[in-house]
Amino acid sequence: MIIDHPLLGPRDAAEFVYKGDAALIDRPDWQAEDAADKFHEYMYLRDNVAGEMAELWYHEHGDRSWLVVTRNTLTHKITSVELARDVARRRGRGK
Amino acid sequence: MANLSPAPILGGYDKSLPDVRLIERSGLALVSLAIPLGGEAAATQAIRAAFGLDLPAPGMSAAGKAHRLIRTGPDQALLMFDNNTANAQPAVRAALNGACYTTMQTDAWVVLAVSGPGTRRALERICPLDLHDSAFAVDAAGRTVMEHMSALILREGDDSFLLLSASSSARSFLHAVETSITHTS
Repeated sequence: MIIDHPLLGPRDAAEFVYKGDAALIDRPDWQAEDAADKFHEYMYLRDNVAGEMAELWYHEHGDRSWLVVTRNTLTHKITSVELARDVARRRGRGK
Repeated sequence: MANLSPAPILGGYDKSLPDVRLIERSGLALVSLAIPLGGEAAATQAIRAAFGLDLPAPGMSAAGKAHRLIRTGPDQALLMFDNNTANAQPAVRAALNGACYTTMQTDAWVVLAVSGPGTRRALERICPLDLHDSAFAVDAAGRTVMEHMSALILREGDDSFLLLSASSSARSFLHAVETSITHTS
């Protein structure tokens, strides 16, 4: 599998570590009323998608960047690769 | 006190094969530069003032008279220069005056220089990156993995490359590169 890194171009998947569902970017508000329930969901509950899924990949043997890779779990076809920090900023994160 | 001097990690390895020469390059100082959040413009300016180098794009390096600057990531670069003393990092920190965070990396890496007409053929076997001129021109640099060891590859010239890997597994890395060369030459 080849991941087309947005800065470095096509790289072999062996350089990356799979870090799971990109929903991990959306850390719940710890001050909310239902914070305990939200954190339980955040920690333990994952959708088991058969199809297109946004995933986190870490470029460990590379530039150490975190990526959001949109991949079809049935075909391994990758449709988009973005820097995770760009995705997080777009969702309103400051850093 | 005893007068100590640093020893090369691989004892100054130097081997010439028919069309490839593989040597350990010692005496290089390596200092990593981390660019603070939102501080790229200030860092670029400070690097230019201190070393006369433009901060290259990720995947590239820039060479000046004495320094080579390798962009290893969006917010990170590695500065390489001849200096065998412990004051390399303090000197870089002072020269950049707070525009980058600096970390001494000299002892963490082993540096191999591979050159000669058979170099690319030897590297094709262990390096997963495309080293063709159109994809990896002179001065291009990239971190990747070779024989399960993390490595940084840099193209110094048409037929000369630098390979950096962890000093703790230096002998295994040398063995991997050596084997690849012997099997292709």
